[in-house]
Amino acid sequence: MPRRFDQARPFLALGVALLAWLLLPALFKRFARLGIYELQAPVEVSASYVRDLQEFWSEKTRSKNELIEAARDLSRLNSAYELRLAEDGRLRAEIDRLEALLRLPSYGEFRAEPARVVRRDFTAWWQRLVIRKGGNHGLLVGSPVIYSGGLAGRISEVHATTAVVELISSPGLRLAAVFEGDDRPVSFQGGVNPPLRPAEGLLEFVPLDIFATPASPRRLVTSGLGGVYPPGLAVAEVFQLEPSTDGLFKSGRARLDPRLGRLSEVTVLVPLDGDFLPAGAPKP
Amino acid sequence: MAYAPHSSTPDRAGSIMESHRGYDPRLWLFYGLTVLLLGTLAAGLAYQQLGRTVEHREREIVQSQRRVVVPGPRGNIFDREGRLLVGNRPRFAVTLNLDELRSEFRKEYLRIRRNYRDSGDKDLPTAAQMERIARVSVVQGYLNIVNRALGARHRVYDDILDRHYRQARILPYMLLEDISPADYARLLEQLPVTSPLQVYTASTRNYPHGTLAAHTLGYTAADDDLAVGADLPGADLTTFKMRGSIGRQGLEAALDSRLQGQAGGAIYRVDPAGYRIQPPLQKRRPVQGGDVVVSLDLDLQRAAEAQLAETGLAGAAVALDIATGEVLALVSKPDYDLNAFTPRLSHETAADIQTRGAWINRATQGLYPPGSTFKLVTAIAGLRSGHIEPDSTVECTGAYRVGGRIFVCNNHRDRGTVTLAQAIEKSCNTFFYDYGLKTGIDAIAAEARRHGMDDPTGIELPFETRGMLVPDPAWREARRQERWFPGDTANVSIGQGDLALTPLQMACFAASFARSESTTRPTLLHLADAPRLHTEPDGLTPAQRGAILAGMEAVTNTGTGRILQTPRYRVPGLRLAGKTGTAQKRTAEGTLNFAWFVGFFPIDNPQVAIAVIVEGDTPGEDVAGGRYAAPVAGAIIKAWADKTGRYGLATPPPATP
Repeated sequence: MPRRFDQARPFLALGVALLAWLLLPALFKRFARLGIYELQAPVEVSASYVRDLQEFWSEKTRSKNELIEAARDLSRLNSAYELRLAEDGRLRAEIDRLEALLRLPSYGEFRAEPARVVRRDFTAWWQRLVIRKGGNHGLLVGSPVIYSGGLAGRISEVHATTAVVELISSPGLRLAAVFEGDDRPVSFQGGVNPPLRPAEGLLEFVPLDIFATPASPRRLVTSGLGGVYPPGLAVAEVFQLEPSTDGLFKSGRARLDPRLGRLSEVTVLVPLDGDFLPAGAPKP
Repeated sequence: MAYAPHSSTPDRAGSIMESHRGYDPRLWLFYGLTVLLLGTLAAGLAYQQLGRTVEHREREIVQSQRRVVVPGPRGNIFDREGRLLVGNRPRFAVTLNLDELRSEFRKEYLRIRRNYRDSGDKDLPTAAQMERIARVSVVQGYLNIVNRALGARHRVYDDILDRHYRQARILPYMLLEDISPADYARLLEQLPVTSPLQVYTASTRNYPHGTLAAHTLGYTAADDDLAVGADLPGADLTTFKMRGSIGRQGLEAALDSRLQGQAGGAIYRVDPAGYRIQPPLQKRRPVQGGDVVVSLDLDLQRAAEAQLAETGLAGAAVALDIATGEVLALVSKPDYDLNAFTPRLSHETAADIQTRGAWINRATQGLYPPGSTFKLVTAIAGLRSGHIEPDSTVECTGAYRVGGRIFVCNNHRDRGTVTLAQAIEKSCNTFFYDYGLKTGIDAIAAEARRHGMDDPTGIELPFETRGMLVPDPAWREARRQERWFPGDTANVSIGQGDLALTPLQMACFAASFARSESTTRPTLLHLADAPRLHTEPDGLTPAQRGAILAGMEAVTNTGTGRILQTPRYRVPGLRLAGKTGTAQKRTAEGTLNFAWFVGFFPIDNPQVAIAVIVEGDTPGEDVAGGRYAAPVAGAIIKAWADKTGRYGLATPPPATP
C-alpha cells in the first residue's frame, strides 16, 4: 500500500465513523446516548457516596465542644421551626376555610422528595445539577426544585436513578415572578453566567412604577400564576431596573443567592395531580 | 489513434497533414478570433466583478435582505397637574415564528401526501393545497400546546394563516391576541425559551378614565402604513411593517406628530423561500413618542361631566383659564368610551355612538343660537356706541312692538322701569329690543366680530366648525338676497335669529370680557409659565363695565342664575359673574329650548371663564339656562373652589401646630 495512503488512513476511519453516525437512525442514536448516560450514572452516584463518606469522616474530626454548640444551635432552630410550623398550620387552616367559603379550587399538592447533589455542571450557557434521585423515585420532568434559600430550578431530564435540574441561573429557564408585595407578573430568566462569578438573572416586563437600586434591592418571588411553581418561593434580589426605550416596561437585573453555586442537597416538589407541570410534560 | 489516409483522396490527406503542423494562416485567424472572444468574455467578467462590485452588492442585499419595522409606542398625555389622561398598556399576544417550522412543514406535507396516496383516493389535492393543509396542521399543533396550557380551544383559521404565509411570512404569525396577564404568566413559564412559540408584547392605547374628555382627547386607529424615519437603515429594502396607530380624533389627531413613537426595526437576511435567518443583521429598538401636558384639569373636567350627565341631556361645557386662554375643561355629551377603540371599534359600538349622536364634539362643532347670553354683546355694543348709558332705563310692559310685530319679554312679565343691570339680572328682552334697535345691527355685528365670534377660535382640536355666523344686512343680501328688517335686529339683540355660535366661542367671549379685552385664543397645551394674554382692550369705561358686572353678579345672586346660591353650589365669599340664556330653535317636531350659562369668577380677580349649553330634547319643554346650565357651571366653580381652598371652606383646614 502506498505510504501516502497509510498516512490518510486515520482520517479515512474518522470520516467513515462520522458518516456511519450520520446515517444511523435517530432512535438508535438517542438510545445510545441514554445508554451511555445510564451506564456512567452509577459511577457518578458512587462517587457522590464516596464524597458523602469523606465529608462524614471530616465531620468526625470535630471537637466535642463544636458538636455541643452545633446541637444547641440545632435545638434553637428546631424550636423556631416548631413555632413557624404552628403558625403555618394556622394559616393553612385559614386558607382552607376561605377556599371552602369561596368554593375555590385549592393549590395542587406536592410531595417533597429530598435529593443529594451528585454533580454540578456550570457553563456560561447552562447551569445544571445532577441529583441522586430519578424516575425510580417518581420524579417528573418539570417538577420544581427548592432549597433552603428558595427556588433552585426545575427538573429538565429524568433518568432511572438520577435527574438533571436546570437551575434558575440558567438562560434556558424562564418563569413568571412577582415582586414581594405586588401581584403583577414579570418575566425572570437566567442570564449568561460564566462559572466562578456571582450568578444573575434578567427581568423583563416590569411595571414602570416599581423601583429597585443596589442600595434598596427588591425581593422577587414566584407568582404561582405560571402553573409550574407554587407561589411565594424566593427567586432573586432585584438591584437594577431601567425603563426600556418603548416606555412600556422596565427591564433589569437580579442577583441570585450565591448558595445556588454550592448546593449539596435540594428538595424536589413532585406534583401529585400534574397540574403544576409545563404543557406537554408527562403527567404523573 | 493512427491516421489511415484514404487511397482515393491523397491530395486532401496531404492538406490535413499540413494543417496539423499549424502553419496554416487561416488557423491564426481562428486563434485570433477565439482569443478576442475569450478576451471579451474575460473583460466582461472583470468589468462585472470589479467595475460593478458596489451595484451587485446592493442588488444582492436588496434581494436577500428584508426589513421589519416595529412601531414605537405613542407618548402619554397628562393633565396640567401631571395626572395621566392617556397612556399605553401592554398587549400580550402569542406568536409563532414560521421560519423555524420549515422542516416540520415539509415533513407534514410528505406525511399528508403519503396518506392520500395510500388511501387510493383518485381526487388528490394539488401539491399547493397539500402544503397549505400541512401548514395548518403544524400551526394547529403548536396552538394546541397553548390551548393545553390555558385550558382553551382556539383553532387556526386557514385563510388568515395562508394570507400571512403568502404576504408576510418573515413576520411572526399571531396565534392569540390580547391575552390576559394571568395567561401571559402561564405561557411564560410553560413555553420553553427556545420554542417557536413566543409571548409577544405590544402596546395599545389606554384611557384610564374611560369616557372622560373623550372628544378632547380623541382616539387612534390602526395604521398599516407606518411612517418610517429616514434615519432607519434599509430604506431600499423590501419592508414589512407591523401595524401601528395614528391619531384620528381630538388631541390624538392634533398632536399626532408629537405623540407618535419613533419606529424601530430589524434587517434580516432571508433564504430563497423568504424565511428570515436569525439573528438579525441590524436591529434598532423603537422609541416612545413625546409626552404632552395638556391644559385640562382632571378635577374640573370630572365635575363638569358628572353634572352634565346628571341632566341626562346632550350638551357641552367649557372652562378657560382667563389669563392664558388655557382650556381647563372641555365637555361634550353624549360621549363614548375611548377604550372601545382599541384594538378596534366594533360595528355595534360604532352604530350605538351614531344613534346617540355622540360623534360630534358639541363644544367646538355644535352651533347654537346664544340666546340671552348674547345680550352682553348687545350691551357692550350699545355702551361703546353711546346708545346705552350705564344708567339707561326702559319701561318694560312685557311686550315690545317692532313694526307690525309684537316681541314678548322674557316670561311675558311686566317689569316696569328696568336699568341695564336689572335687564341683565332678569334677562329682560324689552330693554335689549329697544337698545338693540337704537344701537343698530351693524354695531352689534361689529362688536360680535371684534370678539371673534364669526371665526373659528383656532383651538388645537381638529374639525372645529367654520359655520359660525354673525348675521347682518350685508350677509342677508349676499346669501339669501333678502332684506334686513328691524325685527331681525331685535332678534339678534337677544341672541336669536340667524346667530350661530359654539360654546367654546362663548367661553372665549366670557374670558375676554373678564380681562377687559376683545379676544381670547384658547389652547389645550399647558405651559407652566404661559404668558398672560394681551389683546385689544374692549373699550369700556369703568362705569360701563361696572354696570354690566353689577347685572352679571346679580344674575348669580338673585337673578336667573340664583341656583348657584343654593347649598349644593354655593361657595361662600366667591363673587360670580354670569348670564343665563334660553335659546329657541325651530325644528320639524317643534321648538327646542337650549339652556345657556356664560360667566366667570371671581369678579374681583377673574380666573376662570365658563360657558355651558344643555340641549332640550323635547319640543316645548322648558329647558331654562338657570335650571339646567347654571348647575353645570356651579359644579365647576365648586370643584375649583375645593381644590384652590381659597374660598368657602365648609370645613376649615386643620390648624397647624
